[in-house]
Amino acid sequence: MRRRLEIGLLYSPGGDYGAMASACRRGALNAVSDVNSDAARAVVITVVERDPGGNLDLYEPLCTEILRDSDARHVVGCVTSSSRKEVIPALEKAGGTLWYACPYEGFESSDRVIYTHACANQHLLPLLHWGFAAHGRRGHLIGSNYIWGWEMNRVAREVIGAAQGMVTGERHQALGDTDVGRLIAELRVARPDFVLSNLIGQSSRAFLDAMRVLRTEDPYFAEGCCPVLSCNLTECELASLGDAAEGVVSAGPHFAGAPLWGPARGATAGSSFEAAAYVAVAALAALEEAGGDTAAAMARCGIDPETHHMQLPVLIARVENGAFRVIGRSAPVAADPYLARRERWPGTLRPALRVVT
Amino acid sequence: MSRRMPTPELGGATALILHRPHATVQALSRQLAAIGLHSETHWPELAAAAMAADFVFFDADQCHDGMFPWAPGEAPMPMVALIGSETPGRIEWALGQGADAQLLKPVGAGGVYSALLIARQGFEARRAALAEIAALRARLAERQTVVRAVLLLMARGRSETEAYAQLRALAMAWQDTIEQAARRICAGSDNQAAQQATRKGRDV
Repeated sequence: MRRRLEIGLLYSPGGDYGAMASACRRGALNAVSDVNSDAARAVVITVVERDPGGNLDLYEPLCTEILRDSDARHVVGCVTSSSRKEVIPALEKAGGTLWYACPYEGFESSDRVIYTHACANQHLLPLLHWGFAAHGRRGHLIGSNYIWGWEMNRVAREVIGAAQGMVTGERHQALGDTDVGRLIAELRVARPDFVLSNLIGQSSRAFLDAMRVLRTEDPYFAEGCCPVLSCNLTECELASLGDAAEGVVSAGPHFAGAPLWGPARGATAGSSFEAAAYVAVAALAALEEAGGDTAAAMARCGIDPETHHMQLPVLIARVENGAFRVIGRSAPVAADPYLARRERWPGTLRPALRVVT
Repeated sequence: MSRRMPTPELGGATALILHRPHATVQALSRQLAAIGLHSETHWPELAAAAMAADFVFFDADQCHDGMFPWAPGEAPMPMVALIGSETPGRIEWALGQGADAQLLKPVGAGGVYSALLIARQGFEARRAALAEIAALRARLAERQTVVRAVLLLMARGRSETEAYAQLRALAMAWQDTIEQAARRICAGSDNQAAQQATRKGRDV
């Protein structure tokens, strides 16, 4: 008789981050269905789902509701860092665990959260090192005006400085602001080797559209020159961006077609969000089945019991003809959420051994 | 520790909270009320009337420089940062604002009292140190005046040690600092010189 394992899902598929939330939700549900259809597994997973509708103030009460009204102790959910911060008190009170499957800026290590997507030493650092080697060390930093943009650009400035590079400019755009004229005008003058964009949502789209125009107007920015680097562009947004995303170079633990990691080896996913949420459910099922020494079971799943972050593959991929093509990869990297353990920082990446499309 | 702190009287003090409406604000207000402070919540900015508050609690995650009626680091009262995101960038910004203490969000049933005391002590120590530095800077700027005064006194046939001792004696007699006394001596000599010059001019 297989044991019933109830888990919570807390995503807002219709909110501002709908595309990412939907991808996470899909990955989690795919993992649930794969576990359930495998007769050899000791657990059968049932799902209790709540949708905060993108309202930050609903995450905490809905998480409390899941933990109070169901048997679920594991909740897979949250896209933004602010929503994750909101649910942590609810998890602490009820002894629940959040499985967080999105890239974030780091500087957190809650014992009530397991982080299955990348932090800065697993996305930003390798991406910058790739950029230095391929294009140069003069970087232009842009981002949305909130914690992700601020912190990613702050770390980037430090990394560029440490590499004797140069920051040619830095600008933060209000969330949702699509007026990118000033940003483009500054870029035109600064002529950097690459642009690191931590813009999100509509601002990101407006910027990439304007970049596309700039590339046809100014030969310095011609196709293949001065690439846009991003740690948050994934397949989730690719289709809706169309040609504007061509040439963007992104870093993450997964791109469509690449293998999944840890307890999800053998499965597939359409984006890193989907992959990380799949891995989350696969890992929590494995932990529940293992019982006994939690730290040892975590380590077997690729979760560092000290930081609660996952060891992740690092892939660098460029958008070509509407899809990511992997152009660099490294051996799995252990997370260093506080950027305090230099031995976990990546050196230079090996070029891709094979083309993954 | 040699210094003893009497039980601080915080009753009746005003604390302003700069944070969007949130459970953390309720928990914070409840603790402040229990201690005896009057609290007010403001969002998204503090009005100029905030200058009169005794304490300010501010959201280190979402606040920015423009929300305060004073320049960064020049708050006229102790400030406590409410920190959610422990990123170096945000912490640096909160310190730049002049946070003397911090509370980690979510705020629960404790922590506010110690934050108030630590913030006040830190603020006062910082203010006292700044005042002392300003006084020392002013004295440093008067070095040349002291040298001139000693030289003037030496011109009356005294050794350097005697001249300096006389300067100190004069400062004590006039109940001035050495620098003020030196300034008087120089001013007196300048007047004399001016008078002499005028007289000479008349003579010529």
